[in-house]
Amino acid sequence: MAPLVQVEQLEKRFGEVCALNRVSFEVEAGEWIAIMGPSGSGKTTLINILGGLDHPSGGRVVVDGRDISHLGERELTRYRSEKIGFVFQQFHLVPYLTAVENVMLAQYFHSITDEKDAAEALRHVGLGDRLSHVPAQLSGGEQQRVAIARALINHPKLILADEPTGNLDEANEVVILDLFRQLHLAGHTILVVTHSQVIGNLADRRVELEHGHLARISAPPAVLKD
Amino acid sequence: MFLRILWKLLGASRGRLLLALVALASGAAICSALLNVNLDAEKKLTQEFRTFGANVVIAPKAGDNAALADAGIMDRIAGLHIPQLVAAAPYLYIAANSGTQPVILAGTWFDQVAKMDSWWKVQGKWVSAKENRAECLVGQTAARQLGLSIGSSVELRSGGRNISLSVAGIVTTGGSEDNQILTWLDVAQGLAGFSGKVSLVQLSVSGRSSEIEGVTRQLAAALPGLDVRPVRQIAAAQGTILGRIRGLIFWTIALILILSMFGVLASMAALAMERSKDVGLMKALGGSVGKIMRLFLAEAGALGLLGGTIGFLVGVVLARWIGWRVFNVAISPHLEVLPITVALTVVVALAGALPLRFLGRVRPAEILRGE
Repeated sequence: MAPLVQVEQLEKRFGEVCALNRVSFEVEAGEWIAIMGPSGSGKTTLINILGGLDHPSGGRVVVDGRDISHLGERELTRYRSEKIGFVFQQFHLVPYLTAVENVMLAQYFHSITDEKDAAEALRHVGLGDRLSHVPAQLSGGEQQRVAIARALINHPKLILADEPTGNLDEANEVVILDLFRQLHLAGHTILVVTHSQVIGNLADRRVELEHGHLARISAPPAVLKD
Repeated sequence: MFLRILWKLLGASRGRLLLALVALASGAAICSALLNVNLDAEKKLTQEFRTFGANVVIAPKAGDNAALADAGIMDRIAGLHIPQLVAAAPYLYIAANSGTQPVILAGTWFDQVAKMDSWWKVQGKWVSAKENRAECLVGQTAARQLGLSIGSSVELRSGGRNISLSVAGIVTTGGSEDNQILTWLDVAQGLAGFSGKVSLVQLSVSGRSSEIEGVTRQLAAALPGLDVRPVRQIAAAQGTILGRIRGLIFWTIALILILSMFGVLASMAALAMERSKDVGLMKALGGSVGKIMRLFLAEAGALGLLGGTIGFLVGVVLARWIGWRVFNVAISPHLEVLPITVALTVVVALAGALPLRFLGRVRPAEILRGE
């Protein structure tokens, strides 16, 4: 079976700066990949291209059998709504919408809204009693759980998370990581950009970048993963 | 969900949207007031114009100077039941003498003249009661020449007949009446021996130029052998004034709406900056530019609807105030102004929302990175 994600000789330049230089790797469906590396190594650029938020300068990216490298804005919009679930470090919830409405917003842009489904998704992440709260009334951990429910609501092929625990305290980090672990067990394909060794150890594989180059792909020791 | 997000959007930036709403409602109020005034102004002005003299004259055919018309035409005019007819005053002009001085005596119906020429300046009093046949109005020039004053009597002679009239008032019109003595029609007819005859009939007809032309044609058809003609200068002046007022109202509305649009533009430009992060996120979540823009344009449209409706109501009050101040009458509200005001305001709101269209160019990756 073909891998879910194929990254081949991927390049991204911002003027003279080469953010990604001939990066290649593959991701199988159901895998949990940690993309690691120091700041400025190209992690976020890579995830933006995988998520259809940016275009590569060279190489190609195939997701679910479709080359997204040269898609136009309209096709990328459709790709994002149908294939991708985003989780951001700063949560990025719409401040004037309630928790359930933030989840419904993703449904609205995908197809049709279903408040019951949206509420159920929030119950799954433990926010059944926070449906009508706006982001300002939620803690950081709760906001990130809303973002995870929003990312999952349209059953995406790929969940892309950019430092999902970067803005959380330790207790909330545990909750969020537990959620990611459950998603992984349920068969979701997850790519997480992280500095955290804890997340790196939980993943199936680590894709490590340095100065835009692929430094190594490694699997964490089994003893740490458990 | 569309309406739900729209509702939340409207509540989210209340301050800025309130400013835009005030700009829209203010523009709409003036627009509504002027449109209401415009619809009534023509009617009110036409009524005003009808107090400034005759605008249609019926006389024997041109070239027949000696001919007089039969006074029975007054009954025939009345029998036509013309709704636009404000007043109809017959006139018989005869040459008479006061002592050795010649003077024109005009016989007429004062009750009709009072309706048609209410702007005449009369010192003393109008000749009001038909029963009082011995009274007359004297033009100011004639009064000076004949040495007449209010309360004095004037002896008039014509064709061997004499009458004595008491001067009820001295009239100033700025026209030929200043040189005449005016009395009741039948008194003049009796002095001249022209019983049942008139020189001409002056009519005051309300309405637009086209309506006046219509009444003229109707009268001409009903009164063969007589010359029925509108007083062109008055009709033309009336049309010019109405046209200029209409032009003034149109351009004022256009300017006010443009100013309102600038007010909305300023608010919406600030709003576009505020909303760029939300739009970046919506795009990242798979929102198409069309779907996102529909939300923001619907928001602007809703503001236009609300602003237009509020503006219409305020405009109705404003129009009444303008009506009292300018025309001394109440301008009645015209419901047909509501859809025009609302439609114009919605167009202005959408045009003012132009900055929101730049949100379509927001690049989500840059916004989400915080650039």
